[in-house]
Amino acid sequence: MSGQTLPFKVADLSLAEFGRKEIRLAEHEMPGLMAVREEYGHAQPLRGARITGSLHMTVQTAVLIETLVAIGAQVRWASCNIFSTQDHAAAAIAVGPDGTPEDPRGIPVFAWKGESLAEYWWCTEQALSWPAGDGPNMLLDDGGDATMFVHKGAEYERAGGVPSAAADDADEWRVLLDVLRRSLAASPGKWTAAAGQIRGVTEETTTGVHRLYEMASAGTLRFPAINVNDSVTKSKFDNKYGCRHSLVDGINRATDVLIGGKVAVICGYGDVGKGCAESLRGQGARVIITEIDPICALQAAMDGFQVATLEDVVASADIFVSATGNFNIITAAQMSQMKHQAIVGNIGHFDNEIDMAGLGRLPGIRKISIKPQVDEWVFADGHSVIVLSEGRLLNLGNATGHPSFVMSNSFTNQVIAQVELFTKTEQYPLGVHVLPKYLDEKVARLHLDALGVRLTRLTKEQADYIGVGVDGPYKSDHYRY
Amino acid sequence: MAERRPAAGSRGAAGSRGAAGSRLTAGSRAAGAAPVQGPRSDVADQGLAAAGLARIGWAERAMPALGLIRAHFEAEQPFAGLAVAACLHVTAETAGLVNVLRAGGAQVHLAASNPLSTQDDVAAALAACQGATVSARSGADRKTYYEHIHSALDCAPALVIDDGCDLVNTLHAERQELLAGVLGGCESTTTGVARLRRMAAAGTLGFPMVAANASETRRMLDNRYGTGQSAIDGIIRATNTLLAGKVVVVAGFGSAGTGIAERARGLGARVIVTEVDPVRALDAVMQGFHVLPMAAAAPVGEIFITATGSRGVIAAGHLAVMRDGVILANAGHFDVEIDVRGLAGLAVAVHPQVRPHADEYVLADGRRLILLAEGRIVNLVAAEGHPAAVMDLSFAAQALVLAWLARDHAGLPPGVHDVPAAIDAQIASLMLASLGTEIDALTPAQRDYLDSWRYGS
Repeated sequence: MSGQTLPFKVADLSLAEFGRKEIRLAEHEMPGLMAVREEYGHAQPLRGARITGSLHMTVQTAVLIETLVAIGAQVRWASCNIFSTQDHAAAAIAVGPDGTPEDPRGIPVFAWKGESLAEYWWCTEQALSWPAGDGPNMLLDDGGDATMFVHKGAEYERAGGVPSAAADDADEWRVLLDVLRRSLAASPGKWTAAAGQIRGVTEETTTGVHRLYEMASAGTLRFPAINVNDSVTKSKFDNKYGCRHSLVDGINRATDVLIGGKVAVICGYGDVGKGCAESLRGQGARVIITEIDPICALQAAMDGFQVATLEDVVASADIFVSATGNFNIITAAQMSQMKHQAIVGNIGHFDNEIDMAGLGRLPGIRKISIKPQVDEWVFADGHSVIVLSEGRLLNLGNATGHPSFVMSNSFTNQVIAQVELFTKTEQYPLGVHVLPKYLDEKVARLHLDALGVRLTRLTKEQADYIGVGVDGPYKSDHYRY
Repeated sequence: MAERRPAAGSRGAAGSRGAAGSRLTAGSRAAGAAPVQGPRSDVADQGLAAAGLARIGWAERAMPALGLIRAHFEAEQPFAGLAVAACLHVTAETAGLVNVLRAGGAQVHLAASNPLSTQDDVAAALAACQGATVSARSGADRKTYYEHIHSALDCAPALVIDDGCDLVNTLHAERQELLAGVLGGCESTTTGVARLRRMAAAGTLGFPMVAANASETRRMLDNRYGTGQSAIDGIIRATNTLLAGKVVVVAGFGSAGTGIAERARGLGARVIVTEVDPVRALDAVMQGFHVLPMAAAAPVGEIFITATGSRGVIAAGHLAVMRDGVILANAGHFDVEIDVRGLAGLAVAVHPQVRPHADEYVLADGRRLILLAEGRIVNLVAAEGHPAAVMDLSFAAQALVLAWLARDHAGLPPGVHDVPAAIDAQIASLMLASLGTEIDALTPAQRDYLDSWRYGS
């Protein structure tokens, strides 16, 4: 494979026209990205950037990709989840605004809905493999898989080989090791070289950020990173308002159960859990929270939610949603204790919050596929639970993820972070950084007009009185929004 | 505007109050149809009249619908020469109603419908007015309470207004000689209407009574929004407790209970609802409330609010298993929803007035239960009752109903009658106008469409 690259791989190019229509609608709902195109279109600050993106290949991401291109970047893309690709969006990106299905002129994109694990890591590898054996010089990551791929590749190149998987390793890890083993055999040194060229990564999500901080503190991080997740205009908006919108959407599309009157358990009361709890309560569910953090647990209680342990309520609740960022939150044994046809889903980034492997290993268990991304798991005693998206992000698997407006906030942060890292590389030494507050405020500002918000402006005297500039930043770095 | 805290229920001062008003004697109750021999006022302290006037003025400002009706009545004089006996909470808002009726030509004789809710300054102010008498003292005992009702009835009323049905009940049981002169009346509360329906079913109700509690606008604003807000207000004033994070048990999910549950949730409480009606219980569940039997809610709740209209809703058996420090409050009309006697029976010690309107009952194992307002209606006792805007709607309905009765009583048989839909619509229009809200009107084509059965899909 060395040196050879496929132009793209998507499910069905004939979907491109539909995808283009949706992209056009989404552009209207993504005022931040469109403003960035306007602002940087002339200066082309990303000229020379070779960005590999690993991020859900949706209509909103298409607007992000075309924004990066509009300000000078070259881009290759893969999805960061096997179920989250919207095939019409991927097709439209492959075809491009000026191409046709017969003559595609778009972006090299490797993504389709329903990839196998092997296909998933193949797609990631393709997105990281630039023509002529080159690698990317920028990463745009969501969950850290592209970053991990490069790091593990370089690590095993240095170690002289890829280790064998241990018996209790997850399937996914086993598959990644296989892909890396093939890659190292085909192009030795490729990932070490790539890691050396990469100016930095901008990471989208909590989970990926967590990995980055771990690598930074272990001294294994190979290039600087910007933690986009912790921009206020990302984490509060995407995590809270986005999930508030798309959780209920996913449950409705998957099951069409009446949420009013049901008892719903949300595991985790971080930003995502808060949004989930609010939306389910808004639909009339009685929401119970599980937490390990006393501060978040107290917040939940003060917001009027019952806080219990999963053991307390596992047998009585109707809907379970994991939103922790941790693993083994809902075990197979717990699922077996649930009510008949209880609904189980995950809105945390990875699919290990719900123990799907353990569920599949229960004696006598049967899986009945109701429809794509909706499975009934029947226990030996005949009762069953309904698992959404095989335990993966249900808002993306069963619905269409966050709405465009919310994603415009996160993705405007992404674009600004890419520009910062690429053009001011020296200002961001090895380590994990967050965007300066004035840029966070800028992202928010770019979205106000579309909502008809009329902002009040500080007078000079007022600004002096509280010790800020008239044009911001308005809050100290440790301010909690 | 100098706002005085209501004197209502400040029992500490009760013993020192002089009998400044002219106290009724049994002799003054002699039956007689001539209004000139009617009641005289009995209030706690006539010297409070100036403060009461100020408070009434403040309330009237917040009752724009009643103000619009007043102007109308002044011109029309619908009650010219008629006596009205009213048994209502003697508050500044009630005074607004009395003033509107007076403006329409009525002689109004007011007795208190609850011994703890009387605002003595308002009573004094009204007693000083032309065309009104008031028999009401805060903290009056049961005997005085009924003497006051008799006193109001002494006017030989043509129209009656009741709040809990004690006046109508007394009229039928003890003043039957007056029945023939009564054209009709209206009842404000759900509890009172239930008593009236039982009277009507038994064939004893002697004149038409309009169920003013049951109009659509009334149920919405008074019960749901008014009681919902003021019951919570009363509990907060009495205890200064933070509701966020607390488990609040609301007994009854009728209009009042719904409002209370919604507002408690809005303040961050986790709300449990108890119900006996499966339809109301289902509504609560669909709104995301936890519905439990009281026996299951009793050991987990921290604040209990009854709003059922029934009795013995929180019984001794429930009280016995409650947590230390629970707060017990009643937002229903009568003081029978919480078994106060049962509570006293369980207690080894009672610390009255640990805060105003809060009595602490200590159980044998040391647990402390806090009873608010002696189990009486907490929003009136510990707070100021409904906000004036809510009472505006309620009293506007009663004023219009009374004018309708005075005009059209001839066509109405004895029994319980609903508020005419036209009056309901008129009230809502007045409220909307006062809120500055404009609404659409049906076009003739739309009205035609809605009236026709011919149009299909």
